[in-house]
Amino acid sequence: VYQVFESVAKKYDVMNDSMSLGIHRVWKDILVHKMNPSPGTLLLDVAGGTGDIAFRFINYVRSVRERQLQRRLRHHQNLSWQEIAESYQEDKFKSLGDSQVVVCDINKEMLKAGKQKAQDLGYSEGLSWVLGNAEELPFDDDKFDVYTIAFGIRNVTRIDLALEEAYRVLKPGGRFLCLEFSHVSNPLISRLYDLYSFQVIPVLGEVIAGDWKSYQYLVESIRRFPPQEEFKAMIEDAGFFKVDYQNLSFGIVAIHSGFKL
Amino acid sequence: RRAASGSQGQGQGSGSGSGSSSAQPLEPSLLRFLVCPLSKRPLRYEEATNELINEELGIAYPIIDGIPNMIPEAARTTRKKPPAEGSKQP
Repeated sequence: VYQVFESVAKKYDVMNDSMSLGIHRVWKDILVHKMNPSPGTLLLDVAGGTGDIAFRFINYVRSVRERQLQRRLRHHQNLSWQEIAESYQEDKFKSLGDSQVVVCDINKEMLKAGKQKAQDLGYSEGLSWVLGNAEELPFDDDKFDVYTIAFGIRNVTRIDLALEEAYRVLKPGGRFLCLEFSHVSNPLISRLYDLYSFQVIPVLGEVIAGDWKSYQYLVESIRRFPPQEEFKAMIEDAGFFKVDYQNLSFGIVAIHSGFKL
Repeated sequence: RRAASGSQGQGQGSGSGSGSSSAQPLEPSLLRFLVCPLSKRPLRYEEATNELINEELGIAYPIIDGIPNMIPEAARTTRKKPPAEGSKQP
Protein backbone atom coordinates (compact mmCIF):
# COMPACT_ATOMS: atom_id res chain seq x y z
CA VAL A 1 0.00 0.00 0.00
CA TYR A 2 2.87 2.34 0.88
CA GLN A 3 4.43 2.12 -2.55
CA VAL A 4 1.09 2.67 -4.24
CA PHE A 5 0.77 6.00 -2.54
CA GLU A 6 4.39 6.91 -2.97
CA SER A 7 4.02 6.74 -6.70
CA VAL A 8 0.55 8.19 -6.60
CA ALA A 9 1.33 11.19 -4.37
CA LYS A 10 2.40 13.66 -6.99
CA LYS A 11 -0.38 12.98 -9.40
CA TYR A 12 -2.96 12.43 -6.67
CA ASP A 13 -4.99 15.53 -7.24
CA VAL A 14 -4.97 15.24 -11.02
CA MET A 15 -6.01 11.61 -10.84
CA ASN A 16 -8.79 12.33 -8.39
CA ASP A 17 -10.21 14.92 -10.69
CA SER A 18 -10.08 12.71 -13.76
CA MET A 19 -11.32 9.55 -12.14
CA SER A 20 -14.25 11.10 -10.39
CA LEU A 21 -14.83 13.75 -13.04
CA GLY A 22 -14.20 16.36 -10.39
CA ILE A 23 -17.01 15.05 -8.22
CA HIS A 24 -14.62 14.15 -5.40
CA ARG A 25 -14.46 17.87 -4.67
CA VAL A 26 -18.19 17.95 -4.10
CA TRP A 27 -18.01 14.91 -1.82
CA LYS A 28 -15.33 16.57 0.27
CA ASP A 29 -17.28 19.83 0.39
CA ILE A 30 -20.30 17.93 1.65
CA LEU A 31 -18.18 16.29 4.33
CA VAL A 32 -16.99 19.61 5.71
CA HIS A 33 -20.46 21.11 5.51
CA LYS A 34 -21.79 18.18 7.43
CA MET A 35 -19.08 18.74 10.00
CA ASN A 36 -20.16 22.38 10.25
CA PRO A 37 -17.15 23.33 12.35
CA SER A 38 -17.29 26.41 14.49
CA PRO A 39 -14.19 28.55 15.14
CA GLY A 40 -12.07 27.01 17.85
CA THR A 41 -12.57 23.47 16.60
CA LEU A 42 -9.65 21.09 16.76
CA LEU A 43 -9.62 18.70 13.84
CA LEU A 44 -7.53 15.61 13.28
CA ASP A 45 -7.51 14.63 9.63
CA VAL A 46 -6.10 11.16 9.21
CA ALA A 47 -4.78 9.84 5.92
CA GLY A 48 -5.29 13.39 4.75
CA GLY A 49 -1.93 13.58 3.01
CA THR A 50 -2.47 16.20 0.39
CA GLY A 51 -4.62 18.37 2.62
CA ASP A 52 -7.94 18.42 0.78
CA ILE A 53 -10.06 18.20 3.90
CA ALA A 54 -7.74 20.40 5.95
CA PHE A 55 -7.93 23.29 3.49
CA ARG A 56 -11.69 23.05 3.24
CA PHE A 57 -11.93 23.06 7.02
CA ILE A 58 -9.82 26.20 7.25
CA ASN A 59 -11.84 27.97 4.56
CA TYR A 60 -15.09 27.06 6.26
CA VAL A 61 -14.00 28.19 9.69
CA ARG A 62 -12.57 31.40 8.27
CA SER A 63 -15.84 32.34 6.62
CA VAL A 64 -17.83 31.51 9.74
CA ARG A 65 -15.39 33.63 11.70
CA GLU A 66 -15.71 36.54 9.26
CA ARG A 67 -19.45 36.51 9.63
CA GLN A 68 -19.06 36.43 13.41
CA LEU A 69 -16.70 39.38 13.33
CA GLN A 70 -18.94 41.36 11.01
CA ARG A 71 -21.86 40.81 13.34
CA ARG A 72 -19.77 41.91 16.26
CA LEU A 73 -18.50 45.01 14.48
CA ARG A 74 -22.03 46.06 13.73
CA HIS A 75 -22.71 46.01 17.43
CA HIS A 76 -19.61 48.05 18.09
CA GLN A 77 -20.98 51.17 16.42
CA ASN A 78 -21.33 52.89 19.77
CA LEU A 79 -17.84 52.31 21.08
CA SER A 80 -15.22 55.01 21.38
CA TRP A 81 -12.16 54.85 19.13
CA GLN A 82 -10.15 53.86 22.15
CA GLU A 83 -12.31 50.83 22.78
CA ILE A 84 -12.30 49.79 19.16
CA ALA A 85 -8.52 50.08 18.93
CA GLU A 86 -8.16 47.95 22.03
CA SER A 87 -10.40 45.22 20.74
CA TYR A 88 -8.35 45.00 17.57
CA GLN A 89 -5.36 44.15 19.66
CA GLU A 90 -7.00 41.35 21.55
CA ASP A 91 -7.21 37.85 20.28
CA LYS A 92 -10.84 38.43 19.51
CA PHE A 93 -10.00 39.20 15.93
CA LYS A 94 -7.95 36.15 15.09
CA SER A 95 -9.07 35.07 11.69
CA LEU A 96 -9.25 31.39 12.51
CA GLY A 97 -10.46 31.82 16.04
CA ASP A 98 -8.10 29.21 17.47
CA SER A 99 -9.21 26.49 15.12
CA GLN A 100 -6.56 24.00 14.29
CA VAL A 101 -6.12 21.03 12.05
CA VAL A 102 -3.50 18.33 12.37
CA VAL A 103 -2.99 16.28 9.25
CA CYS A 104 -1.70 12.80 9.94
CA ASP A 105 -0.65 10.42 7.21
CA ILE A 106 1.53 7.35 7.04
CA ASN A 107 3.11 8.38 3.78
CA LYS A 108 5.85 10.97 3.75
CA GLU A 109 5.41 11.84 0.09
CA MET A 110 1.74 12.61 0.52
CA LEU A 111 2.51 14.85 3.50
CA LYS A 112 5.25 16.68 1.70
CA ALA A 113 2.95 17.23 -1.25
CA GLY A 114 0.30 18.53 1.12
CA LYS A 115 2.68 20.82 2.93
CA GLN A 116 3.87 22.23 -0.37
CA LYS A 117 0.31 22.75 -1.55
CA ALA A 118 -0.45 24.58 1.68
CA GLN A 119 2.45 26.90 1.05
CA ASP A 120 1.47 27.49 -2.56
CA LEU A 121 -2.13 28.22 -1.64
CA GLY A 122 -1.12 30.46 1.25
CA TYR A 123 -2.30 28.40 4.22
CA SER A 124 -0.03 28.93 7.16
CA GLU A 125 -1.59 29.19 10.56
CA GLY A 126 -3.58 26.52 12.29
CA LEU A 127 -2.17 23.70 10.23
CA SER A 128 0.28 20.97 11.28
CA TRP A 129 1.60 17.84 9.65
CA VAL A 130 2.51 14.57 11.32
CA LEU A 131 3.80 11.30 9.94
CA GLY A 132 1.89 8.63 11.78
CA ASN A 133 -0.01 5.36 11.57
CA ALA A 134 -3.80 5.41 11.90
CA GLU A 135 -3.62 2.13 13.81
CA GLU A 136 -1.21 3.62 16.34
CA LEU A 137 -1.79 7.36 16.56
CA PRO A 138 0.85 9.51 18.25
CA PHE A 139 -1.73 11.63 20.00
CA ASP A 140 -2.90 11.80 23.56
CA ASP A 141 -6.38 10.72 24.67
CA ASP A 142 -9.42 12.97 24.54
CA LYS A 143 -7.80 15.69 22.51
CA PHE A 144 -9.71 16.38 19.31
CA ASP A 145 -13.18 17.71 18.57
CA VAL A 146 -13.44 16.02 15.20
CA TYR A 147 -11.66 13.12 13.53
CA THR A 148 -11.95 12.77 9.79
CA ILE A 149 -10.66 10.18 7.42
CA ALA A 150 -11.47 10.71 3.79
CA PHE A 151 -10.74 7.91 1.35
CA GLY A 152 -8.12 6.56 3.68
CA ILE A 153 -9.65 3.94 5.91
CA ARG A 154 -9.99 1.33 3.20
CA ASN A 155 -6.20 1.28 2.98
CA VAL A 156 -5.72 0.54 6.65
CA THR A 157 -4.83 -3.08 7.40
CA ARG A 158 -6.61 -3.24 10.75
CA ILE A 159 -9.64 -1.02 10.39
CA ASP A 160 -10.82 -1.98 13.87
CA LEU A 161 -7.61 -0.63 15.37
CA ALA A 162 -7.93 2.62 13.45
CA LEU A 163 -11.50 3.00 14.72
CA GLU A 164 -10.39 2.35 18.29
CA GLU A 165 -7.63 4.90 17.97
CA ALA A 166 -10.12 7.37 16.53
CA TYR A 167 -12.30 6.83 19.56
CA ARG A 168 -9.38 7.24 21.94
CA VAL A 169 -8.13 10.57 20.65
CA LEU A 170 -11.53 12.20 20.41
CA LYS A 171 -12.83 14.33 23.24
CA PRO A 172 -16.09 13.25 24.83
CA GLY A 173 -18.70 14.76 22.58
CA GLY A 174 -16.29 14.51 19.68
CA ARG A 175 -17.36 13.40 16.24
CA PHE A 176 -16.01 10.75 13.92
CA LEU A 177 -16.54 11.36 10.23
CA CYS A 178 -15.50 8.99 7.49
CA LEU A 179 -15.85 9.62 3.79
CA GLU A 180 -15.24 6.45 1.85
CA PHE A 181 -16.22 4.45 -1.17
CA SER A 182 -19.12 2.18 -0.43
CA HIS A 183 -21.62 -0.12 -2.08
CA VAL A 184 -24.13 0.67 -4.75
CA SER A 185 -27.36 -1.23 -4.34
CA ASN A 186 -29.05 -0.10 -7.53
CA PRO A 187 -28.21 -2.86 -10.05
CA LEU A 188 -28.06 -0.62 -13.10
CA ILE A 189 -25.82 1.97 -11.52
CA SER A 190 -23.77 -0.84 -10.07
CA ARG A 191 -23.11 -2.34 -13.50
CA LEU A 192 -22.13 1.03 -14.95
CA TYR A 193 -19.92 1.74 -11.96
CA ASP A 194 -18.15 -1.61 -12.31
CA LEU A 195 -17.60 -1.02 -15.98
CA TYR A 196 -16.17 2.40 -15.29
CA SER A 197 -14.00 1.18 -12.43
CA PHE A 198 -12.44 -1.77 -14.13
CA GLN A 199 -12.27 -0.54 -17.70
CA VAL A 200 -11.70 3.18 -17.46
CA ILE A 201 -9.86 3.93 -14.25
CA PRO A 202 -6.73 1.82 -14.70
CA VAL A 203 -6.45 3.19 -18.22
CA LEU A 204 -6.65 6.72 -16.89
CA GLY A 205 -4.03 5.72 -14.37
CA GLU A 206 -1.73 4.57 -17.11
CA VAL A 207 -2.32 7.59 -19.32
CA ILE A 208 -2.08 10.26 -16.67
CA ALA A 209 0.25 8.79 -14.09
CA GLY A 210 1.91 6.04 -16.06
CA ASP A 211 0.78 3.56 -13.48
CA TRP A 212 -1.84 0.95 -14.25
CA LYS A 213 -1.16 -1.27 -11.26
CA SER A 214 -1.65 1.32 -8.55
CA TYR A 215 -4.99 2.30 -9.93
CA GLN A 216 -6.07 -1.27 -10.34
CA TYR A 217 -5.17 -1.69 -6.68
CA LEU A 218 -7.31 1.30 -5.83
CA VAL A 219 -10.30 -0.13 -7.64
CA GLU A 220 -9.89 -3.49 -5.94
CA SER A 221 -9.50 -1.95 -2.50
CA ILE A 222 -12.80 -0.18 -3.06
CA ARG A 223 -14.55 -3.47 -3.83
CA ARG A 224 -13.09 -5.14 -0.76
CA PHE A 225 -14.28 -2.51 1.66
CA PRO A 226 -17.32 -3.46 3.77
CA PRO A 227 -20.73 -2.08 2.77
CA GLN A 228 -22.55 0.65 4.64
CA GLU A 229 -24.29 -1.40 7.33
CA GLU A 230 -21.28 -3.56 8.05
CA PHE A 231 -19.00 -0.58 8.41
CA LYS A 232 -21.58 1.08 10.63
CA ALA A 233 -21.44 -1.97 12.91
CA MET A 234 -17.66 -1.78 13.05
CA ILE A 235 -17.85 1.84 14.10
CA GLU A 236 -20.33 0.96 16.81
CA ASP A 237 -18.01 -1.80 18.00
CA ALA A 238 -15.33 0.80 18.60
CA GLY A 239 -17.64 2.52 21.05
CA PHE A 240 -19.25 5.23 19.00
CA PHE A 241 -22.87 6.23 19.46
CA LYS A 242 -25.51 7.60 17.11
CA VAL A 243 -23.70 6.05 14.19
CA ASP A 244 -25.29 6.61 10.84
CA TYR A 245 -24.37 7.08 7.23
CA GLN A 246 -25.33 9.20 4.29
CA ASN A 247 -25.03 7.83 0.77
CA LEU A 248 -23.67 10.09 -1.89
CA SER A 249 -23.85 9.44 -5.61
CA PHE A 250 -26.07 6.36 -5.30
CA GLY A 251 -23.82 4.81 -2.68
CA ILE A 252 -20.64 5.04 -4.66
CA VAL A 253 -19.48 7.03 -1.66
CA ALA A 254 -20.82 7.23 1.88
CA ILE A 255 -20.21 9.45 4.87
CA HIS A 256 -20.33 7.58 8.16
CA SER A 257 -20.66 9.57 11.35
CA GLY A 258 -20.44 8.65 15.01
CA PHE A 259 -20.07 10.34 18.37
CA LYS A 260 -18.00 9.64 21.43
CA LEU A 261 -20.06 10.25 24.51
CA ARG B 1 29.76 23.63 14.94
CA ARG B 2 27.07 25.76 13.49
CA ALA B 3 25.24 24.82 10.37
CA ALA B 4 23.27 27.49 8.62
CA SER B 5 19.82 26.04 8.74
CA GLY B 6 16.97 27.22 6.59
CA SER B 7 14.57 27.63 9.50
CA GLN B 8 12.96 30.99 10.11
CA GLY B 9 15.05 33.21 12.30
CA GLN B 10 16.85 30.55 14.28
CA GLY B 11 20.58 30.99 14.29
CA GLN B 12 21.37 27.67 15.89
CA GLY B 13 20.46 24.34 14.49
CA SER B 14 23.08 21.66 14.60
CA GLY B 15 23.00 19.92 11.27
CA SER B 16 20.90 16.88 12.02
CA GLY B 17 23.29 14.65 10.21
CA SER B 18 21.65 12.93 7.29
CA GLY B 19 21.57 15.04 4.16
CA SER B 20 17.89 15.39 3.50
CA SER B 21 16.78 16.61 6.92
CA SER B 22 16.72 20.33 7.45
CA ALA B 23 16.61 21.68 10.98
CA GLN B 24 13.14 23.10 10.51
CA PRO B 25 11.61 23.63 13.91
CA LEU B 26 8.53 21.77 14.96
CA GLU B 27 5.23 23.60 15.07
CA PRO B 28 5.10 24.42 18.80
CA SER B 29 1.37 23.80 19.17
CA LEU B 30 1.89 20.20 18.09
CA LEU B 31 3.77 19.45 21.27
CA ARG B 32 0.49 19.81 23.09
CA PHE B 33 -0.94 16.71 21.43
CA LEU B 34 1.97 14.57 20.41
CA VAL B 35 2.79 11.49 22.45
CA CYS B 36 4.74 8.34 21.78
CA PRO B 37 2.56 6.13 19.57
CA LEU B 38 3.69 3.04 21.45
CA SER B 39 3.33 4.04 25.07
CA LYS B 40 1.12 7.13 24.61
CA ARG B 41 3.37 8.91 27.06
CA PRO B 42 4.65 12.48 26.66
CA LEU B 43 7.75 13.27 24.67
CA ARG B 44 10.57 15.68 25.17
CA TYR B 45 11.67 17.90 22.33
CA GLU B 46 15.43 17.81 21.93
CA GLU B 47 16.48 20.91 20.06
CA ALA B 48 20.04 19.79 19.45
CA THR B 49 19.10 16.78 17.37
CA ASN B 50 15.61 17.98 16.39
CA GLU B 51 14.01 14.87 17.76
CA LEU B 52 11.19 13.93 20.06
CA ILE B 53 12.50 11.74 22.83
CA ASN B 54 10.66 9.16 24.89
CA GLU B 55 12.97 8.82 27.87
CA GLU B 56 11.23 5.77 29.33
CA LEU B 57 11.51 3.60 26.25
CA GLY B 58 14.73 5.18 25.14
CA ILE B 59 13.65 6.07 21.64
CA ALA B 60 13.79 9.19 19.56
CA TYR B 61 11.52 10.20 16.73
CA PRO B 62 13.10 12.38 14.06
CA ILE B 63 11.64 15.60 12.73
CA ILE B 64 12.26 16.01 9.06
CA ASP B 65 11.37 19.17 7.15
CA GLY B 66 9.30 20.22 10.14
CA ILE B 67 7.24 17.02 9.99
CA PRO B 68 7.64 14.70 12.98
CA ASN B 69 8.00 11.08 11.97
CA MET B 70 5.97 9.20 14.57
CA ILE B 71 6.22 5.76 13.02
CA PRO B 72 7.75 3.44 15.63
CA GLU B 73 9.86 1.60 13.05
CA ALA B 74 11.59 4.84 12.14
CA ALA B 75 12.52 5.74 15.69
CA ARG B 76 16.09 5.55 16.82
CA THR B 77 17.02 3.96 20.11
CA THR B 78 18.84 6.33 22.42
CA ARG B 79 20.15 3.81 24.94
CA LYS B 80 23.51 2.94 23.42
CA LYS B 81 25.61 6.05 22.94
CA PRO B 82 25.10 6.92 19.30
CA PRO B 83 26.65 9.95 17.63
CA ALA B 84 24.23 12.87 17.67
CA GLU B 85 23.53 12.58 13.96
CA GLY B 86 22.37 9.60 12.07
CA SER B 87 18.66 9.42 12.75
CA LYS B 88 17.31 6.46 10.83
CA GLN B 89 15.40 7.20 7.68
CA PRO B 90 12.47 4.95 6.87
